[in-house]
Amino acid sequence: MNLDWLDAFLLQGVFRVVMVLGLALLLHLQMGLARIANFGVVGFWGLGAYAFAVLFVKVDWSLGEPWPFLISMAFGAAVAGLAGLLVGWLIADLETEGVLVGTLGFASSVWILAITEQELTGGALGMGGLRFPFDIGKTKANELLWFGILFAVVALIFFYVFRVHRSPYGRLLIAVGENEPLAGSLGKPAFRTKLWLFAVGSAGMGLLGAIHGVMAHLLIPESIGINVTLAAMVGLVLGGMARVWGAVIGVILTVGLFDVVVQSYLPLPRSWYTQTIPVLREMVFGATLIAVLIIKPQGILGAMRRDKLTRRMHGG
Amino acid sequence: MEFFTESIVIGLTQYAPLILAAMGLALIYRLSGLINVAYSETITIGAYIGMWINTTFGVGFYATLLPTAIGSGLLSVATYLAIFRPAKQRNAGVLEMIIISFGLSIFLRHSLQFVFGYPVRFYKVSRPDIIRVFDVGVTTFRLLALVSVVVLALLLYWIVQRSRLGLQIRALASDEDLAQVSGIRPLFVTVLIWFIAGAAGGLAGSFWGVGSNVAPLLGWRQFLLIFLVVMVGGAKNIGGVIIVGAITGVALAAMTLHFGQVLYAQLALIVAFVVFMKLRGSRSVGAGKV
Repeated sequence: MNLDWLDAFLLQGVFRVVMVLGLALLLHLQMGLARIANFGVVGFWGLGAYAFAVLFVKVDWSLGEPWPFLISMAFGAAVAGLAGLLVGWLIADLETEGVLVGTLGFASSVWILAITEQELTGGALGMGGLRFPFDIGKTKANELLWFGILFAVVALIFFYVFRVHRSPYGRLLIAVGENEPLAGSLGKPAFRTKLWLFAVGSAGMGLLGAIHGVMAHLLIPESIGINVTLAAMVGLVLGGMARVWGAVIGVILTVGLFDVVVQSYLPLPRSWYTQTIPVLREMVFGATLIAVLIIKPQGILGAMRRDKLTRRMHGG
Repeated sequence: MEFFTESIVIGLTQYAPLILAAMGLALIYRLSGLINVAYSETITIGAYIGMWINTTFGVGFYATLLPTAIGSGLLSVATYLAIFRPAKQRNAGVLEMIIISFGLSIFLRHSLQFVFGYPVRFYKVSRPDIIRVFDVGVTTFRLLALVSVVVLALLLYWIVQRSRLGLQIRALASDEDLAQVSGIRPLFVTVLIWFIAGAAGGLAGSFWGVGSNVAPLLGWRQFLLIFLVVMVGGAKNIGGVIIVGAITGVALAAMTLHFGQVLYAQLALIVAFVVFMKLRGSRSVGAGKV
């Protein structure tokens, strides 16, 4: 297959956009519907990546391909899911500040363990030995196929989130987010709902982390910094926290703008890309969060679809 | 016995800025119910202001403290007037306010990176003298940090709990409308609180900066600990924050000595504090209003 038309930077940029989109969609369920501010997205993502990598690289597998790979992937997602269950249990009955401290603390803990547990993670130097579970020729072809797999996973996540919006479970999430005591007094299990939400969301984030690890080939503690959480959050907030398509539009306008358009299409001096652009990107993301939440807190797409429907029915 | 004295002396002197910073964060939290993530950048900017004055004008470290406190206090007020006040007037919820402060934190941190570049900066100071306290060597900077923290802590405690202004602050925190009809000017008191909090944060930053180096991540690296101290110490009165801050410093020093690794000490503390908050239950520690 001739892939000369495909720029390697472009492919990696689009890969990052779709990766962040997956995280933003999962965050949408937690922050947009249930209104739990998960500032530890990168913790679950990083834990999934490291759990996958440790099992895949450090264990002496006697099974044939592709079993070690698939089992490690599932392990990464499961570990992240269990961590989500634990974090969810810790924060489910706390106020927003408690949620902030719990999720930030979790992300910090994962980062600390990635540095200190050198035997397992390679410490600050990083952990190599990650490779694609297939080999179909050139590097670029492998990367393209892996992108296809990521795309399929994120499409599934989108489908799941889309279904949740139109299901009793989605209405339960919204009810818990809007008024938890009320939902509780109507017999809805608010605590259990939050636990389940965190477990499922975190498992998804962990799976995405493992997929990232394979594409990056190398895991370093620096790559699991707060900027991953920021990217997912800014996309979601800009597009519209309460809307399914909000994450899609927002992530394309933010991460897409910087990692695809600026990275591959703008005629900027080479030296800018190493230092100036990454700093500028974070500055713009931070400013976007402030501007959107002050000027138009609902984001580009506006209020929840359900709210618009009820308003039309009642002629409001 | 040696282990205990060592932990206490190192803990109190090395983590004195933590107490100072936690008091500032707690003040804003108590007044407005807002956990200001961008407070970490107030700390960082304090370190940068001090370092900049120190290296540009060749002023000694002690002389930079006053301009540092004023500069970071003014910056803190500016963030309130430009961002948090408009957001509050537009009825932003608790969740939105925290995300706004997170966005501001990211913006300021990377602006500093943009202006000052990647290399870390240092204060130009001669090597501080080392004084032996209970047979543990401590630099004069750290002793001074501890002394200023004690002084400022007492001053803040007196202002909030005993003075007329403190009465106004507490009145404003519990019921804004009632405070207003009682003739309290909310804007004046609020601006003053943001100034005091910013000055405390900036001083904490400059003590941290002179002790090691000045980098855009200086405040953010400490933020989680400061935040935990405020959440566990409670914003009901400043005393709790001071006590928990001091215990945290000593515990961190003791665990660092024991594990030989500061990261394990931090990890243990994060876990302990979050579990403590879980066990304490959902009782809100602060005013909880925005």
